[in-house]
Amino acid sequence: MTREALIDSGRIARFLLAAVIVFVFITLLTPVVLVVWASFFDSSFLSFPPPGYTLKWFAQAAEHGAFLRGFETSAKVAFGATCLGVFLGTAASLAIVRSGLPGMKLIQGMLLSPMIVPNIVIGIALYVFFIRIADGIGIDLTNGLWGLILAHTLLTIPWTVRLVCANLVGLNRSIEEAAANLGASPLRVFTRVTLPMMRSGVIAAALFSFIISFENLEVSLLLVQPGSTTFPIAVLQYLEFKMDPAVAAATTVQVLIVASALLISDRYVKLSRVV
Amino acid sequence: MANARNPWTAVALVGPALLVILTCLVLPLFTLFRYSLNRFTPSELMTEALTAENYIKFFTEPYFLGVLGTTLFLATASTVLGIVLGFPFAYWLARTHTRWKSLIIIAVLFPLLVGNVVRAAGWTIFLARDGLLNALLVGLGLTTEPIQFMYTYGAVFIGLLSVVLPFVILTLLGVLEGIDFTLYDAARNLGAPPRTAFRRVILPLAIPGISAAAVVIFTIGMNSYATAIILGGAEFQMMAPAVYQQFALLSNWPFGAALAFILVSVTAIASIAASIVLARQNKTLTQLAER
Repeated sequence: MTREALIDSGRIARFLLAAVIVFVFITLLTPVVLVVWASFFDSSFLSFPPPGYTLKWFAQAAEHGAFLRGFETSAKVAFGATCLGVFLGTAASLAIVRSGLPGMKLIQGMLLSPMIVPNIVIGIALYVFFIRIADGIGIDLTNGLWGLILAHTLLTIPWTVRLVCANLVGLNRSIEEAAANLGASPLRVFTRVTLPMMRSGVIAAALFSFIISFENLEVSLLLVQPGSTTFPIAVLQYLEFKMDPAVAAATTVQVLIVASALLISDRYVKLSRVV
Repeated sequence: MANARNPWTAVALVGPALLVILTCLVLPLFTLFRYSLNRFTPSELMTEALTAENYIKFFTEPYFLGVLGTTLFLATASTVLGIVLGFPFAYWLARTHTRWKSLIIIAVLFPLLVGNVVRAAGWTIFLARDGLLNALLVGLGLTTEPIQFMYTYGAVFIGLLSVVLPFVILTLLGVLEGIDFTLYDAARNLGAPPRTAFRRVILPLAIPGISAAAVVIFTIGMNSYATAIILGGAEFQMMAPAVYQQFALLSNWPFGAALAFILVSVTAIASIAASIVLARQNKTLTQLAER
């Protein structure tokens, strides 16, 4: 290849790279930007360019019963599943990283396994299983908050194990050893040294768990009953009917919640390491 | 509680989480699998049996094979384009020294966490008859009548692409940041042109990461539900909506269960096959590099 050809191909490569970067940014951000933008349109249907801007759709969305109840249900479920999942997952992570027992890699794999099972299959398997329990011992979990919380705990445990384990592996053991050598009891070392050091991992796990549970659609589909759906299901049902600024406003609220959670967790954990 | 090295403490710590996974995931999956071997009768719905007829039904009915075909096609297409676009992006992000880097990472992660329903809603605003794209096309005089973009393969495909891109980029970013780029500089110093240095040094090191990312996003594509329903519409059939339909609308549990396990198995088999092919590719690349 001649020198000119080389320089030329370098130029083409740089141009292609720039094109790819721009295209990827557009693909990633277009849907989110459009949802937020459309929620301010002053018209009852989509129209570009919008005739004007208004905040009324946020009030409208808040009055739409399905969105409001969905929001409440999703918040409760996400809160419950986060508490349960972060508690169980953090305890398990301690044993996985610290115990040095054989088989811990396998157990970690088991705890992460809900991530590779299709969410729709998780939801259906649980639905079938809950009905079996209801037939057997009369406890019906198929349409209550507890069934949903249990189902979503399957989402929050793996995220917690992943984030807290990564955090624990990076912790400096010598500080704990120093505390023990200076006469601190094991319990004291744990509460005064280990737990504070784990703080960032646990907070990140809690925030991610909450988001992942809140936005999940597939796991909940069969575990809700009409009138008490989760927020993503309420949005889906509305979208099957029509797309307008009111539903855009409702989803914008979710976008804002995720954005604030993300900005908070950015302070505690290196975000490029979470997926 | 403090001393996790004590085996009993370890068991007490890990036991409850493991119990939740075993009772709420493993056991239900076994139940579901057992149901897939049962028989469906319109009057009694599900009757106890030990039959493969649900699986046979799937593989003999062109309709369901078509559903699987559509799903495989879209998952494969979005995986290929996801890697083709995501790799250069991740490579650029790993090598760049801009102070905006962490902001860019957040911009990649953010759409992922916003959720598939919201993203599909956003694409609807873009693609609908009265959406942004049609408004632009009409405004520019490229078309007089709005074009039907929604409820097409293209709509589902762009939706899927935006779902998988964050996963590719973040997975590959981790892999590429772990590669020692002084090897590349060494190859350059020894006279290799940039392209050769990249192909023989960096690419072989990145292939395991690429194959891991491909498996992750292929699985996501195969299992997509919200994207297929919202952007594809009610007529558009992919596997995950079909599984749901069997349970929620048709009450055919045995066949729905069989569909679920076919979906899981086909995804797993395709992933393993792809990994083997990529590993072989990697071997050839390594041999090339050694020569």
